[in-house]
Amino acid sequence: MLRILVNSITRGWKQLARRPLYLCMMVLVPLLSAWFFFDLMKDGVVQRTPVGIVDLDKSDLSRKLTRNLNAFQQVSIVKSYDNYREAIDGVQRGEVFGFFFIPSDFSTKALSNKKPTLSYYINYSYFAPASMQYKGFKTLTVLANGGIVQNVLTTLGLPSEMVSATLQPIVTHVHPLKNPWLSYNYYLSGSFVPCLLALIVMLITVFSIGMEWHAGTSRNWLRTADNSIVLATFTKLFPQSFIFINVGLWIQYMMYVNYGFPLNCNPWNMIAAMALLVLASQGFALFVISLVPNFRYASTICTLLGMLSFSFCGFSLPEEAMYSWVVPIGYLMPIKYYFLIYVDQALNGIDLFYSRYYYVILIVYSLLPATMLWKLRKHCLDPFYIP
Amino acid sequence: MKENGEKIGWLHSIGLTMKQEFKLIFRDEAVIIFFVVLAIVYPPLYSLIYNPEVVRDEAMVVVDDSHSDLSREFTRKLDATPDVQVKAYANDMEEAKQMMARKECYGIVYFPADFETQVMRGNQGHVSLYTDMSVMMRYKAMLTALTNVQMEMCTKLQGAKAAHIISMDGGLVESRQVPLGNTAMGIASAVLPFILVYVLQQGMIMGIAMIHAGGMGRRRRNRGIDRLDEVKALPGAMILGKALAHLFYYLLPAIFALHIVPLIFKFPMNGSFIEIALIMFPFLLACSFMGQAVRVFVNNREGVFLLLAFTSVVFVFLTGVSWPHYQIAPYWDVISRMIPGYWGSTAYVQMQVNGASLMQMKDFYTALWVLCGIWFVIAYMVELLVLRPKYRAMQLACEVDPDALSKHTLYLQGDDDLLNAELLDGDDEE
Repeated sequence: MLRILVNSITRGWKQLARRPLYLCMMVLVPLLSAWFFFDLMKDGVVQRTPVGIVDLDKSDLSRKLTRNLNAFQQVSIVKSYDNYREAIDGVQRGEVFGFFFIPSDFSTKALSNKKPTLSYYINYSYFAPASMQYKGFKTLTVLANGGIVQNVLTTLGLPSEMVSATLQPIVTHVHPLKNPWLSYNYYLSGSFVPCLLALIVMLITVFSIGMEWHAGTSRNWLRTADNSIVLATFTKLFPQSFIFINVGLWIQYMMYVNYGFPLNCNPWNMIAAMALLVLASQGFALFVISLVPNFRYASTICTLLGMLSFSFCGFSLPEEAMYSWVVPIGYLMPIKYYFLIYVDQALNGIDLFYSRYYYVILIVYSLLPATMLWKLRKHCLDPFYIP
Repeated sequence: MKENGEKIGWLHSIGLTMKQEFKLIFRDEAVIIFFVVLAIVYPPLYSLIYNPEVVRDEAMVVVDDSHSDLSREFTRKLDATPDVQVKAYANDMEEAKQMMARKECYGIVYFPADFETQVMRGNQGHVSLYTDMSVMMRYKAMLTALTNVQMEMCTKLQGAKAAHIISMDGGLVESRQVPLGNTAMGIASAVLPFILVYVLQQGMIMGIAMIHAGGMGRRRRNRGIDRLDEVKALPGAMILGKALAHLFYYLLPAIFALHIVPLIFKFPMNGSFIEIALIMFPFLLACSFMGQAVRVFVNNREGVFLLLAFTSVVFVFLTGVSWPHYQIAPYWDVISRMIPGYWGSTAYVQMQVNGASLMQMKDFYTALWVLCGIWFVIAYMVELLVLRPKYRAMQLACEVDPDALSKHTLYLQGDDDLLNAELLDGDDEE
């Protein structure tokens, strides 16, 4: 019995060691792409969006506005345009992502109390730069307003604390919980990197089993495991679980230690979540290829679901905003539960009690294929490969 | 490859390779899936997921220690905004936080006990917003709603208070925001136009890799010879001939993805059809050459999924869809400029969404042709220096031992039992 186990598991390891594709896809690609995401967005916040300015007024007041605008960290004035048409041309060419427009009658109207209009044009084809511009431009107009009113009120002899209360009787304090820096890296990489890992885990699982049919070795694979499909799949997938869990933990180490992602829970909660994500993704893929014992169809299903997970698991458009038929597809994927654990535990640091079901579901996913393995066995004994 | 093939002209060999590639694609269901079905199924699916565009009625709870008319008015106005809805009042912050942990709400608005009294005394009243940060769009919806209500209330209170001091209603300066291109400011219209272009690129590359892997499979089964690859063309003519076949297959999928899908889902369409077609030509050509270069990494048909699926996500991020391109490190910038999709999708968005003309995009147009040249040279080198020597090596190995290739497969599978048995038997399965 022990000899069978040893032979079988040696076969599993040999397979991984001899095809360079495995080393490349299981270790290099996940680690490199994780580093890619972390490094790409290491600034955390979008800053210095290139914008233009159209100053038709050319007064002291308008020049002061321009100087103020350039002092904001959200935008950076890279070009000054002579008129609206030129500025639109600049947006279309992609030189700037938007521009601030000061009309020619700005200072005369402002000083004679006639309500001039300041406009800002923002290219909303680029989401993050657009919201940064909005912040910058909006603040500038509020400041402009405040500056003028403050002048008037102070000349009238109001004490300065009364002035600000008159200007802004209600102030708001915004507390973005656990991510006060509004870091895009914490928000995007925290979900996308594990999602990419889950996709690769699923594809490797399908690939390593499908190749047995493709190479005509599936019968011998079973024979090595004494014709037990449970032992055969276990000894094939265990070495992979081992490598993937290690890679996953390495990724988490990069996240929480090197890049300082928020980790507001006991680290073991996330370590367990990562290990379960790997096992559940393997389980999911094994279930798919047992249910559909066709190498290419199983690969296609896993690729399609894995790729769409990025969208329908609600990482960017939240699930309550989606169509109701899209939401359940998200809950089909193991990564959704990992994401919910990540949010509850690592980010919000709430009690483990609230995440209990997510862990349970991941465990269920790991065991799910047990129900369909008989079908996989049948196909391995009587394999046919459709190229 | 026919050894005794009659000498054929260069142009003629382009035509022959094109015809052969045509047949290879047509008879291969898996390639058709990548070339045609992907471009037809994926864009509408994606569009449907993101079609709601914006977050509406995000759930919030209110903790009101002030119990005043002013706080109630604020709450009513908040509930009336399209962005959020006030789901309930909580007795204290502790209860509100528990509701948030149960995901019954994603934000808490807190009014302190002295909220109204401060405002009435001529001081400032304070409102606090606590938001869940798991998804940025939730935060944005709540922030927008709060800021709008605050400004509205401020204007009203200001008017009442300042009226007796100076003659003014509201602010002195008006401001207005004009969204350009994606005027609905939705997420689908911002993200999808990029994705549409990338679906074409990735589908083409995966399809080309699939054709190649199919050929490799036939070579493995047939002593290094692919019976379906019978045109004896020079590498350059071969690459061009294949590219022409790919372009032809992509004509309809490209029109569907880049023109029909935006029509169906009402994405902004401000570009000229002809000009977009003109810039998409070098883009698709560059994709074909890139595909013919990177196919060298794929030896098994199902390996295509592995090697190329993850690159899609990386490419999309390199292009600046989520994180702006101007803020990426120089080394990522260099890599992004090697991808046809970066130039293709950015140009497509600038033209289709922002209404740029081909003249305004001439740098992108030139860059795409340069990229065609670069990837053609790489594909040429790959064919000449890697693939053709590899085929010859396979054929040579089979001349020594007819089973060399199937034994190699067994070796790679880690199946030493079967490998040794084969050696003992000495018979060939093929």
